[in-house]
Amino acid sequence: MTNITVRIKRFNPDTDDKPRWQDYTVALDTEKTVLDALEEIKSEQDGSLTFRRSCRHAICGSCAMMVNRKNGLVCTKPLKEAVEEVGFFGAKNTVTIEPLPYLPVIKDLVVDQSVFWQQYEAVRPWVIPVENIPTKEFRMSQAEVDAMNRAETCIMCGACYSSCPVIAGNKSYIGPHALLKLFLRVMDPRDTEIEARLDQIANDNGAFRCHKVSNCIGACPKGLNPAQAISALGNMALRANKLSQARAERLKTLIAQVEASASE
Amino acid sequence: MSDARVITHDVVIVGAGLAGSWAAMVAAREGVTNIGVLSKVHPLRSHSGAAQGGIAAALGNVRPVAGTGEDGALEQVPAGAEPPDSIDLHFFDTVKGSDWLGDQDKIKVLVTDAIEVIYEYEHMGCVFSRTDDGRINQRRFGGHSAPRANFAADWTGHVLLHTIHEQCLKHGVKFYSEWQLLELLLEDGVARGVVAMDIVSGEIVTFHAKAVLFATGGYGRAWKITSNATANTGDGVAIAYRAGAPLMDMEFVQFHPTGIYKHGILMSEACRGEGGYLLNAAGERFMEKYAPSKMELAPRDLVSRSEQTEINEGRGVGDDKQGIYLDLRHLGKEKIMTRLPQVREIAMNFLGVDIVYELAKIQPTAHYSMGGIPTDVDGQVIADANETPIVGFYAAGECACVSVHGANRLGTNSLLEASVFGRRAGYAIARFIKGGAKLAPLPARAAAAAQRARLARLMSRHENGRNVPLKQLSETLKKTMTDHVGIFRSQESLETALATIHRLQGDFQHVRVMDTSRRYNTDVLAAVEVDHMLTFSELVALGALARRESRGAHARTDYPTRDDNAWLKHTLVRQSSDGTPELSYKDVTIDWEKCPPQARKY
Repeated sequence: MTNITVRIKRFNPDTDDKPRWQDYTVALDTEKTVLDALEEIKSEQDGSLTFRRSCRHAICGSCAMMVNRKNGLVCTKPLKEAVEEVGFFGAKNTVTIEPLPYLPVIKDLVVDQSVFWQQYEAVRPWVIPVENIPTKEFRMSQAEVDAMNRAETCIMCGACYSSCPVIAGNKSYIGPHALLKLFLRVMDPRDTEIEARLDQIANDNGAFRCHKVSNCIGACPKGLNPAQAISALGNMALRANKLSQARAERLKTLIAQVEASASE
Repeated sequence: MSDARVITHDVVIVGAGLAGSWAAMVAAREGVTNIGVLSKVHPLRSHSGAAQGGIAAALGNVRPVAGTGEDGALEQVPAGAEPPDSIDLHFFDTVKGSDWLGDQDKIKVLVTDAIEVIYEYEHMGCVFSRTDDGRINQRRFGGHSAPRANFAADWTGHVLLHTIHEQCLKHGVKFYSEWQLLELLLEDGVARGVVAMDIVSGEIVTFHAKAVLFATGGYGRAWKITSNATANTGDGVAIAYRAGAPLMDMEFVQFHPTGIYKHGILMSEACRGEGGYLLNAAGERFMEKYAPSKMELAPRDLVSRSEQTEINEGRGVGDDKQGIYLDLRHLGKEKIMTRLPQVREIAMNFLGVDIVYELAKIQPTAHYSMGGIPTDVDGQVIADANETPIVGFYAAGECACVSVHGANRLGTNSLLEASVFGRRAGYAIARFIKGGAKLAPLPARAAAAAQRARLARLMSRHENGRNVPLKQLSETLKKTMTDHVGIFRSQESLETALATIHRLQGDFQHVRVMDTSRRYNTDVLAAVEVDHMLTFSELVALGALARRESRGAHARTDYPTRDDNAWLKHTLVRQSSDGTPELSYKDVTIDWEKCPPQARKY
């Protein structure tokens, strides 16, 4: 079995003046993921190496970091694939791992995502439904679910956020993750505040700030398309009033269907 | 940092998965303003989000097409048609699934509340898959006699978790994200708060509260092959036990039939719910030998035992012959892409196969903890067989044992249990607080300082120079639990396991962690987690050794049949005054007229 080098950017603000690189050697095994390599280093070589992880299969969003200069989840990334990529340093048989960029480092590969979460909360991620809630479910169509383009499957890992060049320069920008969430709510026929939501992002820190670099698409481990959602939001914002009227009509049918079915 | 800080809340909730978040949201909605929710990971990283296949409730939106059999097509129920499902059916399926160890009065509550809980999720914005007429779509699941798994493709837990977390934010719940629970402050039968550590800063803080709810999840990490997240180390269960609370039915641990071969990561039961087959090395659908009627859709305990039997008899697959094939090819690309997209991705990532065209290798994986902290239907923790309440202490979700799952949980009943009983606990806690509950004084002893000393011991060099690597210790524990407290157990295997666990408990005193820093020290937390695992693993093995019968997920090769005369009872275990565990038993609530124990055949 070949040995490879895992080169990790390390930083403990309590003891280090600046980040430093540290190399570890692990055996390359085709069944190993990059996370397995990190776990192995931590448990056998250096317990102080610090990173987040939990579910191990790309649903909890804990382990987003930068591998070979590209953001993603390490739990599903095969180590072999990482080795075969050209590393930042061009070194053979070397995988480089760094924390997600544009965020303060707490320790090693753990970043402080407070701003990221604040922006998520700022878009009011919850649905704001009608006041007269039906006794059964709203009659939403599968086509309406499909139109959300799987935005509901976003795991909030932050890979897109930390790949966005706009975020790099401007933390007031609301960010691809929060805009994707907002897109989900705007597309949801049960939501009553489409106009207010579109109004919230029709400005220079919202959908119009996106430079369409589209790094977010490549970074997303769930295959989602924040750039497209942001672009759609921008277009929708220009006709928010009309969409709001259409939503009001749809809400009537959503409820009427339910009431009709209840009286069947 | 002196660790002297005390934070006071009316309610402290530990765990922010479905159970903890429901409780927090409901209590806040009911007017309790001062709630703090602690979670060792960010709330949206909680393991509820990993659940895939569905959440049970007898909505009756979908029914089998007449004449197509157990794995035939489903259709939406036309307006005016006879309801194809009922809470009574859901009740009976759950009782039978539990092998009659579930308390029937509590199961009644579970299946009844189910309906309104699902609708409430929908009204809160949860994105479910839909039928043609816009209702919540449903699929089949093991052990359920009607299609009642309400689903969102195969990411149901994920959308439920995000929905309930959003509602917590809407209602202004305060979260303490990345805080590790260290101790429950329980004295004279009254909960007074908890001690926890802010993982980022390393500060240890005492939380003083009128009510404490544990929603800390299951204890599956003590097994080598497991579907559980690394966070699921049974912290709450072990900590409640050490504080003097009893635990119930700890020996019942569910092995899920379809974990990814060698990794244990879950491939949803929805694979079989949608019509997948299990094949042995000879290519046979071996389930026809074990469950001729339900086949692959028999309950998990039965399917996992069948797989393990095939493996033990030499008909396994893979390089070590410990695997089984899951065949989904006949479902077709469209169904897989719309119903099982996440599963397809998981198989690609970990097995390198596309389930549209290839077989997936799977094996049984430790999945769900039926046992836990005993509660009533309102999350109130009980101290004994007489159901004496521990004042101010609540538990819900996988760490609790209500018991609605008895000896074996049915798939889709866990998201349901976490939601129903988290929600009920929220209402109960709101009544408790608004009814004038007072802050009981904190214990006189210096609990936070004692926890600091515990961590300091783990970080300091031992004088005798005998340092046991943590990894070696935890791997020995996991191997022991898999080999000796796994799908099949016997007196011999359990005695071996207990001896090993006792030795490891001794060895743990010689563990020294490598990271000695204060900030974000996951090395020392891993040791704390192993400490918890060593505590509850002993209780699992002890309960299993005492229970001389086979029931649900507890299969004794030396006592292969169910024994209702001697063992139709819950196991309680609590710490005696000398620190050793003490077993006692509690009656199961059974409606002897309507639902007496029957032979369990599928």
